[in-house]
Amino acid sequence: MHELGIVIEIVKQVEEFSKSNNINEIDTLVLQVGELSGIVPRYIEEVYPIAVEKTTLKNTKLSIEVTPGLGRCKSCDFTYNLFQNNNTCPICDSNEYEVLSGTDFMIKEILAK
Amino acid sequence: MEEFKIIEIKKRVYENNDLKAQTLREDLKANQTFMINLMSSPGSGKTTLVVRTINLLKEELKIGVIEADIDSDVDAITVSKSGAKVMQLHSGGMCHLDAGMSREGLDVIDYKNLDFVILENIGNLICPASYDLGQTKNVMILSVPEGHDKPLKYPKMFSKVDVLIISKIDTVSVFDFDFVALEESVRKLNPNIEIFPVSAKTNEGMNNFINWIKDEIKKWNEV
Repeated sequence: MHELGIVIEIVKQVEEFSKSNNINEIDTLVLQVGELSGIVPRYIEEVYPIAVEKTTLKNTKLSIEVTPGLGRCKSCDFTYNLFQNNNTCPICDSNEYEVLSGTDFMIKEILAK
Repeated sequence: MEEFKIIEIKKRVYENNDLKAQTLREDLKANQTFMINLMSSPGSGKTTLVVRTINLLKEELKIGVIEADIDSDVDAITVSKSGAKVMQLHSGGMCHLDAGMSREGLDVIDYKNLDFVILENIGNLICPASYDLGQTKNVMILSVPEGHDKPLKYPKMFSKVDVLIISKIDTVSVFDFDFVALEESVRKLNPNIEIFPVSAKTNEGMNNFINWIKDEIKKWNEV
């Protein structure tokens, strides 16, 4: 169970943050997940209710922003979405590339009062 | 009524783990303990390779092994017969270890009195790739029966390790393993990787890996 462990860790970190910043009520937790991070948003969403049970984040909403997995082709310099193009340049068919974005996995922000 | 507002956190999910791992690495360095994080699929021959490695090095180095499994201690029992100091970590269903667990294992085997620690990670090529455990070097095993096309399936793991061991090369005639194709796809992901084809059973190629360990330990212990 990869995602559950990760989400439990995220919830802990958000609880610590809320405590040290005197935040009493959280409405929504916003995560930022890159397409190349190996994290599957759908699984995070599935395990979220289980991970927040018995925590102060119970009843909060989860929102996931996906950042595109972009890469630059090493042979023709074209920038394309690696995730959608199966790591192969749609212009020249090369599969040598430099990753530009989409490996991130962040706790972005909370909607709270 | 009070409105909800956006409060920025902007924190990488792995940040806490990475900080713990960095502290651990500094502690290992201060004590001149060299640790490898050994990763692979289930059934790649990790434990056989670990036992062979211990046998080849135990005369000159004090060695410890941290075995990690979801459950059971069969590997720890096998390895303990080789004479190294062994402890078993149970991840309790989790598919990866984190730096807190590796610290716990190191304390149990008393790393301060060891020269070389092998952390045998859980058999899995996906999740352990995201977790820094405080190791000095990352080593991965790919066994010949798994096939030479594996780097295409698990690019993250192949791109982050320092060493790739190709194990069970005594079975190569049975499996049509293409070393050239493998090396080409691995180097595309990871140009500086060291590749050692070995058979822990016949001892073929083991010396290259052993010499690498000795060289790296020397480098690690230099101030």
